[in-house]
Amino acid sequence: MADKEPSGAVVPAAVAGVEAAGAEEAVQAVPEPSYEWMGLSNQWGVRVKPDEHGLRLSALNVGIYGEVPEYWDDQTRRPRGALPRPGTPPLPYNLRAKHQLWADCAADLYEEGIQRRWIPATDVPWSTLEPLPDAIERSVCQVCTELMQYANTEIEIITYWQDQMSYGYYEVKQFLATATFDCARHIEALRKRALANGGGLGLESKGIVNRMILESRGGWTESVVYLYLLRGTFAMQLLRHMLTSAHNDAESYIWGHMIQDHARHLTYGYDHLKYAVTHHDGAAAVMRTLLSIGEAMMGSELNDAVLRSAMAIIQGGGVDAGRTVGMQSYLHLVGGFVRDYLALCDWLGVPRADRLHASLKQYLEY
Amino acid sequence: MPRFPSDDWFQSVREVYNSDSSLHSGGGGACNTIAGFKVGSECYVIVFEGLECADIHSADEAEMNATDFIIEMSEDLWKEMVANVQEHGKADLDHTLNSIDLQQEESIAHSPADDQYRQDLFYRYNQNFQDFFDASARVETSFD
Repeated sequence: MADKEPSGAVVPAAVAGVEAAGAEEAVQAVPEPSYEWMGLSNQWGVRVKPDEHGLRLSALNVGIYGEVPEYWDDQTRRPRGALPRPGTPPLPYNLRAKHQLWADCAADLYEEGIQRRWIPATDVPWSTLEPLPDAIERSVCQVCTELMQYANTEIEIITYWQDQMSYGYYEVKQFLATATFDCARHIEALRKRALANGGGLGLESKGIVNRMILESRGGWTESVVYLYLLRGTFAMQLLRHMLTSAHNDAESYIWGHMIQDHARHLTYGYDHLKYAVTHHDGAAAVMRTLLSIGEAMMGSELNDAVLRSAMAIIQGGGVDAGRTVGMQSYLHLVGGFVRDYLALCDWLGVPRADRLHASLKQYLEY
Repeated sequence: MPRFPSDDWFQSVREVYNSDSSLHSGGGGACNTIAGFKVGSECYVIVFEGLECADIHSADEAEMNATDFIIEMSEDLWKEMVANVQEHGKADLDHTLNSIDLQQEESIAHSPADDQYRQDLFYRYNQNFQDFFDASARVETSFD
């Protein structure tokens, strides 16, 4: 029950005066408000100012709010910097060490993800789609189908771990939220492309690497190794070559914008792995073991005839040319992936050139 | 008629780019970076702020070393790319920054500080840079 002040403000009846108490039963049920909580803050009087880029997340890291601990010994949903409430039951936030998820760039990438979003429904110039030769349309649709599975795998593995990431490292949780939304956008755009030009979805991927990613349960870092260092680096090559083979402005727009989104995800992934290797004893050795397994799985998946022939047809411009220059171009794509992968491993301090699995090594000649 | 490469030419492209919002769709939002272009022995620094190219000017090595990343190609390859844009109104599929990069043994983009985060900006902002160079189709250009 409330009284309405002339100003329009709604004020609980109990506030009106102690004399009123007891006049009605409903009023008695309203407790007198306490404002003791107002004095409870770890740090008050903070005034962060926007800079020329606006008020960015990274700018909020001032005073105690900028203290990002090596270990977050709190299993509640308490925002970093807020006062804990005694008695709050713990939740299963199992990733509580900084090295398990951190990347210094996460806050900036979050801002970038928020600012650089696009809308497939209206931003893609769909009217530029034109009928393509059947084999090419089928190949483009096949690639779209498999890339949709890449994207839904990314969503699933991020959300699985995101649930377990503690709020001490909220910047990472924020960024990954944008990454899952990027992936949702990719699924949307790919599905629209496949269904907008006389084709349809193709054959489901064998999903060897998808399964490897989804079953990586040893920690988020392990998932990042498979999701971004291996699969993600390969996916970037696929997207970049799809852009060079775009058949119209609609495709150019889709591939060009997917590249930019995907590059953000890779930046986080690579930066996190670098952080893990440099801040946690034994991380490099674990990564080496994971990579020896992951390389074999990647090599196995790359043997699948479906994606490689679809890409060869696209890159060659048809079935006949797909058998010659198209396949040569696809093999060069895979070779580019392996070279990028080796360079990244060197940068991470986990060199793989001497131990590279034979199934990937074969592509270095292209 | 501005000559490529020169301050005049890059300024003319900047004016076209900033005056046409249809060229700003590359990012769907803000682009904030300082990058370098190395055209043979000549160096230029470009500053993107939000939806605009805030500045572009010739630079020395020290200024180039402070950029997020540098796009470096031979003068002939730069000229081929710009001439292609002039001819087609925008880069054809073999002359985008992405495709030229894929065609080279070494990437055309590198971070002078060997900073992976900053080098990745080449891919994260790739369409903005492409849109910038595509804007040069509207700048009458001399290569002499």
